[in-house]
Amino acid sequence: MEMKERIAILENYIMQRCLWQFHSRAWDRENQNNGILGITKTMLLGEQPDISTPELKCYWVDAKCLADGFKTKFPWVNEMGKEDIAVMMDGLKERIDYVTIHGSLNEELTVKLY
Amino acid sequence: MPYHTFECSKMLPDREKHAVIKGPGEDITSALPLGNLNTVPGTITERGCAYCGAKHVIGTPMKDVIHMSHGPMGCTYDTWQTKRYISDNDNYQLKYTFATDMKEKHVVFGAEKMLKQNIHEAFDAFPNINRMTLYQTCASALIGDDMDAIAKQVMKERPGVDIFVCNAPGFGGTSQTGGHHKINIAWINNKVGTVEPVIKSKYTINYVGDYNIQGDCEIMTDFFNRMGIQVISMFTGNGSYDDLRAMHRADLNVLECARSAEYICNELRVRYGTPRLDIDGFGFDLLAESLMKVAMFFGDDCVEKAKAIIDEEVARWKPELDWYAKRLKGKKICLWPGGSKLWHWAHVIEEEMGVKVVSVYSKFGHQGDFEKGIARCSEGALAIDDPNELEALEAMKMLKPDCILTGMRPGEVAKKIGIPYLNIHAYHNGPYKGFEGWVRLARDLYNAIYSPVMNLAAIDISKDDFDTDTGFKTRTMLSDPGVPREELHTENMYTGKMDIVTPLRGKKYDFPAPEPKADAVV
Amino acid sequence: MSCEIKSKKRAGIINPMVTCQPAGAQYASIGIEDCTAIVHGGQGCVMFVRLLFSQHLNENFDIASSSLHEDAAVLGAVHRVEGAVDVLLERYPHVKVVPIITTCSTEIIGDDVEGVIRKLKKGLLATKYADREVHLLPVHTPSFKGSQTSGYDAAVTAFVKHFATKTDECNGKLNLITGWVDPGDVAELKHLLKMMDVDATVLFEIENFDSPLMPDKSAVSHGTTTIEDMQGTANAIGTIALNKYEGGKAAEYLRDKFEIPTIIGPTPIGIRNTDTFLKNVSKLTGKPIPESLVRERGKAIDALQDLAHMFFADKKVAIYGHPDLAIGLAEFCLDLSMKPVLLLIGDENPNYAKDPRLLAIKEHAEFDMEVITNADLWELEDRIKNKGLEVDLILGHSKGRYIPVDNNIPMVRVGFPVYDRAGYYRHPKVGYNGAVWLAEEMANVLFTDMEYKKDREWILAMW
Repeated sequence: MEMKERIAILENYIMQRCLWQFHSRAWDRENQNNGILGITKTMLLGEQPDISTPELKCYWVDAKCLADGFKTKFPWVNEMGKEDIAVMMDGLKERIDYVTIHGSLNEELTVKLY
Repeated sequence: MPYHTFECSKMLPDREKHAVIKGPGEDITSALPLGNLNTVPGTITERGCAYCGAKHVIGTPMKDVIHMSHGPMGCTYDTWQTKRYISDNDNYQLKYTFATDMKEKHVVFGAEKMLKQNIHEAFDAFPNINRMTLYQTCASALIGDDMDAIAKQVMKERPGVDIFVCNAPGFGGTSQTGGHHKINIAWINNKVGTVEPVIKSKYTINYVGDYNIQGDCEIMTDFFNRMGIQVISMFTGNGSYDDLRAMHRADLNVLECARSAEYICNELRVRYGTPRLDIDGFGFDLLAESLMKVAMFFGDDCVEKAKAIIDEEVARWKPELDWYAKRLKGKKICLWPGGSKLWHWAHVIEEEMGVKVVSVYSKFGHQGDFEKGIARCSEGALAIDDPNELEALEAMKMLKPDCILTGMRPGEVAKKIGIPYLNIHAYHNGPYKGFEGWVRLARDLYNAIYSPVMNLAAIDISKDDFDTDTGFKTRTMLSDPGVPREELHTENMYTGKMDIVTPLRGKKYDFPAPEPKADAVV
Repeated sequence: MSCEIKSKKRAGIINPMVTCQPAGAQYASIGIEDCTAIVHGGQGCVMFVRLLFSQHLNENFDIASSSLHEDAAVLGAVHRVEGAVDVLLERYPHVKVVPIITTCSTEIIGDDVEGVIRKLKKGLLATKYADREVHLLPVHTPSFKGSQTSGYDAAVTAFVKHFATKTDECNGKLNLITGWVDPGDVAELKHLLKMMDVDATVLFEIENFDSPLMPDKSAVSHGTTTIEDMQGTANAIGTIALNKYEGGKAAEYLRDKFEIPTIIGPTPIGIRNTDTFLKNVSKLTGKPIPESLVRERGKAIDALQDLAHMFFADKKVAIYGHPDLAIGLAEFCLDLSMKPVLLLIGDENPNYAKDPRLLAIKEHAEFDMEVITNADLWELEDRIKNKGLEVDLILGHSKGRYIPVDNNIPMVRVGFPVYDRAGYYRHPKVGYNGAVWLAEEMANVLFTDMEYKKDREWILAMW
């Protein structure tokens, strides 16, 4: 399976299942995507994520569900090497950033206040 | 951009970008309607006003409060007893509503004096209630009464009472959503942080954006309590005024309806560092994952309890959900709520009940809501922002849904063209949250679609040939024609009780002992 | 024994029993064929009123909004009326009548509705819609004056003033201005007129509010009074307005402007008021009251006689609702030997204290009675909960439903809105059939209450 295809499958999974990527403003979405997809990547790479603050712990909760979901719904994730996983997760992060921030048509993302 | 143009709206350039069809290969970067813009006058919109968004939707579910509107009686009267947000204190907030009765002389000479008299009268009439929310209306906003000043005076004169002022006049914003916003911000600015809660558990949350429609919120707080989590406040279904003043002390904000309540979660995150966790209280799969997420935030003991709850609930209710899902498979529905169910249900109702969501709409949603809804709904769905009467009718005629999920009045429009409706503002027979609740929704949907009465509506006795060999049709005769009785497994039709909320009240829960907190002020 | 007529003492409202003027104007507007009103104000003033109508009638009614927003509240909003008229007319080709109903906000900001109508007539209507019959008319219903009752009254007057056109010929018809009633009432009134062989113009023909679900899916709930009907009111042989406070002004206008013989009231609730109504019809049309109505009346009295002195006598009743309805119900209760001890009217009108019907009750009531104007529902609840008032029965609409529910008092739902009982709009409250329906409803809720409370329920078992 091509990397692009894998990323598209995971993107679709996130978009249909998750809500964390849709926080209110662009800066929130950046934090959410960085936080959650960052920890997901760490976990898929078999490393220990930093969950020392409530904020990080909250990211971890979503990341843990995501990582578990990836592994059970898409068994091929388990067979990937670390390098591929890193490439895939970076690509996924780029896509999610695009869909929810840079390519988003949501005109309220840049409103200054909540 | 795959915008959809309604025949009936061709002449309205302002409506051009308010409907999209999610075509093959489309995502939210190519298919997203405009949202939260002023309505085109004269279109016969379904939208309400900012006052109702503040007073009716968010304020009034607070249960131990005198809810007073400063204006003529109509705003109060019209928004009273129109939504089923119940409470465990005998529905005080449903039973009593207060209006200052602004008359012409007040419009001319000011109404502050009479406002003050009103507040005193209300507290005198209900000596056991010491909390009040005070809502501005168009009239009081335009004459410029200083409601904050009056509230302050009364609080000085009547020690022990507390008054919250919400300045969200009807014209303030595009729709209800303007009022949701204003009351969120007013509450955090003026009330959060003014009460310290009694901490009973190591784990605490605010449960935000649920209005306890037919008991939804009580179903969810029962789960949280069983997981050992103390729910400090409910914003605002079955919520208590003073609990909501203590929102700043929760470890986590668990958010359901982001449309109406994301503002306060965002501000709590900024001001107090409380994380915001968005969850889904609907659907087996998403609800289970949501409960797990909340549990995981706190610890393994919580996770164990959550798992036990989920296993028990799924084992109990899955066969019944499946019974309905088998019969709902392939049925087409329009998911036409006010706001959040647009995304909460868009995907999971297809996954778990087999129905196809052919359209989503939102009366007052913003583009962020459509992002979620369109991301979740499947290909071909028609998404409409701020739909109007003719557009909804045209959509129904085009899409031929088997049921529309909407409010009472649009439901009456659908009825006339032979389409049953399910009330998803106030619900038919909810609650719909929780595992059992989801089965109740499936049951209500099944009962709507396979209604023997609606089955009769299409027959023209003057022209059609019709059955004369039977005096009745059961629902299963319509959903499972020709299937032998023993193969129907009717024992798996919903077996729950009519009232599943009252038995939860007064339940005792065990909480893990709280740890002393460094920053807690006693 | 005393009967006091007084105004509520408190400044504020705890549980309102009426809504504001624009709702009344909207209810009148949906009675007219090809009419869609534009309510000039915030969207809630329409959305919730439409919901109220839906709750009561289980049908949808189309009413538009000018969708007032912040900018308009500051700078004036007549341009939104202009836009709304154009959009409405273009998208609804059948619409001919567009009342512009004002609200508190647009009255306070002082929008010139007459001005914008003049402008639209010269501009938009004369150009884009030159080939189309369109009537724009202002209906001023600031929410801080009166109530839904006076709003309804104002709208009927506005329609009649706009349309009534004198021609050379009398149309031979009777104008019947019903006031705020249900489809079941209109059906009953038309039945009575048919028995009398009287051709009438009914303002408004709302029988169709109770509309079918047809196999061809074509049915729509809307009133059917036409422009021609309203124009013809100036050429009628007479006018009867059943309700003094809902349509009475329009009747007076027709009398004063076109010299139409006019009788206002009484609301034909109960036998006597129906008798008077028929007599008045006879007086204005010259038609005799037929034998068939004597029989119908006889059946009604026969039914009432079975109930009155056995079950109704001395029962204390609290009544709230529209003024004409509440007064009519009180009169009927007196005829049934009941004691209407409390009468609540939800708004203020200097004529209430002078109303001859109330003065007559005041003169003859053989028990203590209170009439409260500008009342809210707390006037009833507070008396029951805190002041020792005992009543056996409540007559009123659904907004007060928790008073009977919480205090275990039987209640007959009557008035607007009724949403906690099925199909009440279908039944008449007026005429002989209305008298029977009301009396039997009252009897049946009392019987059910006797059974629930085990209060001499055996009376019902042994006749």
